[in-house]
Amino acid sequence: MVEAFAVASGKGGTGKTTSTLALGMALAEDYDVTVIDADTGMANLLFHAGLDDADVTLHDLLVDERDAAVSDAVYERFGMSVVPCGTSLAAFEAADPGRLRDVVAELAADTDVLLLDSPAALGSKSAVLPVVLADRIVVVLQPTVPSLSDGLKVQEYAHSYGTDTAGVVFNRVRPDENVDKIAEQAGRYFGGQTLASVPESDAVRAARREGKPLLAHAPEDPAADAFREAAARLDVRDGDGRDVAERFKSAVVPERI
Amino acid sequence: MRIPRGELRRSRVVDDAAAVLRAVLDEELTGYVVFEPQDALLLGETTSGVVTFEDGIPVLAYDTEREVGGRDGLEGFAVTGPTRAAVHAVDAAALADAHEVEAFRIPPGEPARVLAGDERLAERTVDAAPAARREEGRDQSAVEAFLADADAIEEIRSEAREEARARASEWGLDDVLADDARDSAAIEPGTDSR
Repeated sequence: MVEAFAVASGKGGTGKTTSTLALGMALAEDYDVTVIDADTGMANLLFHAGLDDADVTLHDLLVDERDAAVSDAVYERFGMSVVPCGTSLAAFEAADPGRLRDVVAELAADTDVLLLDSPAALGSKSAVLPVVLADRIVVVLQPTVPSLSDGLKVQEYAHSYGTDTAGVVFNRVRPDENVDKIAEQAGRYFGGQTLASVPESDAVRAARREGKPLLAHAPEDPAADAFREAAARLDVRDGDGRDVAERFKSAVVPERI
Repeated sequence: MRIPRGELRRSRVVDDAAAVLRAVLDEELTGYVVFEPQDALLLGETTSGVVTFEDGIPVLAYDTEREVGGRDGLEGFAVTGPTRAAVHAVDAAALADAHEVEAFRIPPGEPARVLAGDERLAERTVDAAPAARREEGRDQSAVEAFLADADAIEEIRSEAREEARARASEWGLDDVLADDARDSAAIEPGTDSR
């Protein structure tokens, strides 16, 4: 059984990486979860997961003549399998985004839920690929016009590739903001459901400083509760891992960027 | 818009506007930076714009060629590639009048985001900004009004669909487009054939 979700926002600063790891940890209560930092150009999941010194990362799996096995880049952390990406620009330039498909296919064969932390951009093939490869997207939004507008864009890109919307997470919501009305309005345009409204929290920044996911650093924080609620609302669909792997493999990605 | 002439600190061509914004943030500059994208110059276009700062935090942006301020102004000189950045220091009191022009003000993280695409720097800048400024760019009634305008939303969505289809061809991802997206791509020839 496997379903791959791309956690996407279109715009940066919405807390995508925090959301990916939080949803991952919450889902890991019931599922075998693999989290991949698919933001190969601006990787930062490694800092959130205490993997700054990881020897082998996704970048090593995306180069032409790699000698690293996919399993070398998988780290068991916080109850999840985590595949971090390196931060070297040279490694990013040497990486062949098309290889992501093979890596994802191999990882998909052996997990229940795949979460792809996706780039906050749509301007290149490597940025769009996670959304192409995923079954569904989870859109992380802030209740602001630019964030909603970019969220709509990323959703249209996803739909163009047959990737549906599983739901929307309103993140970094301030105490004075009432998201209910915005969520109701946004629900007309976004697919899936509103998974949660996650309050802005100092614990998020502290967690990142400590190199731990929010749910490990501050499991009692209201933001952590909201992410658990979001994960509980996410209806992970049964699927045949082999089909997914097969589909990933057949996705035609012939060129380099 | 009138910005008092400042004292030139340095002027150089940089590969990336982020480097300048980072330096200005670190040195807590009060003054302004004139940006002149060099690639636009090569194409025979003059593009330039100004961002003003208070203690290293961006306050307003102005496209000096198109004479447009605020976020729209910022987008006017957001050209990728090398840019000449001239950093000027101005006394805070002298900038106060200019900084009252509401229409030209921008949220603190916008220049890093728009000029440099550097989300981390944008976040760092917002974190460093005074509490009152961190709230900027968040107006719930504006969000509700935006979402109530179904036509405008549909326009955003249909533009994004067009763009997704056009880029899929560009990136060789045609084959993985959903059937309905591909069908409509076949019916409507790409507009971006220039």
